[in-house]
Amino acid sequence: MRPNIYYSKRVGILGSGLTLFRSKMLETPQELAFIAARRALDEAGLELKDIDCVVIGSAPDAFDGVHMKGEYLAHGSGGIRKMVSRVYVGGATGVMVPISGWYHVASGLCEKVLVVAEEKMSGDLPHPQAIFRYIWDPITEKPLNPNLIWIFAMEMHRYMKKYGIKKEDIALVSVKNKRNAINNPYAQLPGQITVDDVMNSEVLVWPVQRLDISPTSDGAAAMVLASEDVTRRYTDTPVWIEGVGWTLDNTSWPGRDLFYPRYLENAAKMAYRMAGIERPNKEIDVVEPYDPFDYKELHHLEGLQIAGRGQAPFLLKEGFFDLDGDIPSSPSGGLLGVGNPIAAAGLMKTISIYWQLKGIAGKMQVKRPVKTGVAQAWGDLMQASTVIVMRN
Amino acid sequence: MSWDKGKETKSWKDIMEAEKYVYTLGEAGEKFLEGLKEGKIYGRKCRKCGRVYVPPRMYCEDCFEELDEYVTLRSPYIDSFTTIYYDDEGNKLDKPVSIAIIRFEGVKGGLLAYVEGEANQNKNVEIISYDIPLKVKVV
Repeated sequence: MRPNIYYSKRVGILGSGLTLFRSKMLETPQELAFIAARRALDEAGLELKDIDCVVIGSAPDAFDGVHMKGEYLAHGSGGIRKMVSRVYVGGATGVMVPISGWYHVASGLCEKVLVVAEEKMSGDLPHPQAIFRYIWDPITEKPLNPNLIWIFAMEMHRYMKKYGIKKEDIALVSVKNKRNAINNPYAQLPGQITVDDVMNSEVLVWPVQRLDISPTSDGAAAMVLASEDVTRRYTDTPVWIEGVGWTLDNTSWPGRDLFYPRYLENAAKMAYRMAGIERPNKEIDVVEPYDPFDYKELHHLEGLQIAGRGQAPFLLKEGFFDLDGDIPSSPSGGLLGVGNPIAAAGLMKTISIYWQLKGIAGKMQVKRPVKTGVAQAWGDLMQASTVIVMRN
Repeated sequence: MSWDKGKETKSWKDIMEAEKYVYTLGEAGEKFLEGLKEGKIYGRKCRKCGRVYVPPRMYCEDCFEELDEYVTLRSPYIDSFTTIYYDDEGNKLDKPVSIAIIRFEGVKGGLLAYVEGEANQNKNVEIISYDIPLKVKVV
């Protein structure tokens, strides 16, 4: 099917809010949602009564230890007596939240939407990885007790073998993102590290080592979206959502290629068609690809058609994706540097692009002028992707 | 986790175990539990609309502002109640148990409690055990 890429209302971004990303935050999930939502309203210059509807995003309920998390988070997200929905596409949720907010406005249903994403993972004992125990096929996979790290280890290994990529080249992503995170006041794991630090860190599941991977985090993020006329009333420097795309490759993870994220190619092409982007590697100025693992950023830069297949590690080495490079990647510091409260992390990436296009990224601001930015997340059973294109 | 290799191959047996979870209370939640230790029920007041929430929380869901002072709640009463004859595994209880939702005059929200005495709607109660669950006695 070819989606209709002509929508009725242009959608702008009016404000954003984040909590700190940390392990073991004192605040409850509802309170984290409130802090982020309140900050987004303040930045937008709006009150809750101005908001028409609320979209909430959160990954598996079990992370926060409460079922029906959409309802649970609703009063902290400003949803009382409003149209509320919760979206959930696994790890891809964080970018699906603004996409869902976008179609509430683009369709003409609402004028002003508050989108909120939250995750609290540090309460899961002994480790939140256990929450993923029941996402597998219950008969043919679950008996081996898989966890995401060893599934991704196989994907990483396949990617390395297919294109002859060395682990040292992949480790550079971790070095770059943790370095970028030094400039991000919300970041959990910023730092100046070296490739050797990554290579000498503890091996978790070969080839995944401790510093290849993002941490366990608590946090929330929020954004205010509005129709074009409302956006122009509130700001002289608007940022617009110009393209959205989301697709699922295959519902069974062994049913897809491990070396290339086709799930993302499809989603990216949908978003680019809507935004009128024909040559992504020439027309995109800044990108936030989903990076729960360092190799995943490279994988996703290829899926986003910004690098050729197997080429991302070589561009990375040349500095192409640095803050002063041709297409800076993860200027926020990404999940590796800022943290990974799942749904909130994806929305944080969207907010990072908004900051860049608005010119309010502070020390994170990339060196070249920017016109077009892309944020992306990845999830469900590792074969869904969500992409959002923004312009100023 | 298993299947019966001898006879039938019609099902797979496994369990979905619950994980342990630490729920942080937040500042307002800590104050609420401290209140129970002191033999008090704390609510928290919105300075903008004047509404008091129980259990106390960080924010007012309408004004969307941070809440302000803690207030000690008085005059608990039964809003509604039920009487339970079987436990959640289907076993008949020796003695039926009454559970009520307790509210406080002019306060938003409520607390679940075990009731001693003849429960009825709108009856005033006295809190006899400040704990979770709360225990109240009809006065």
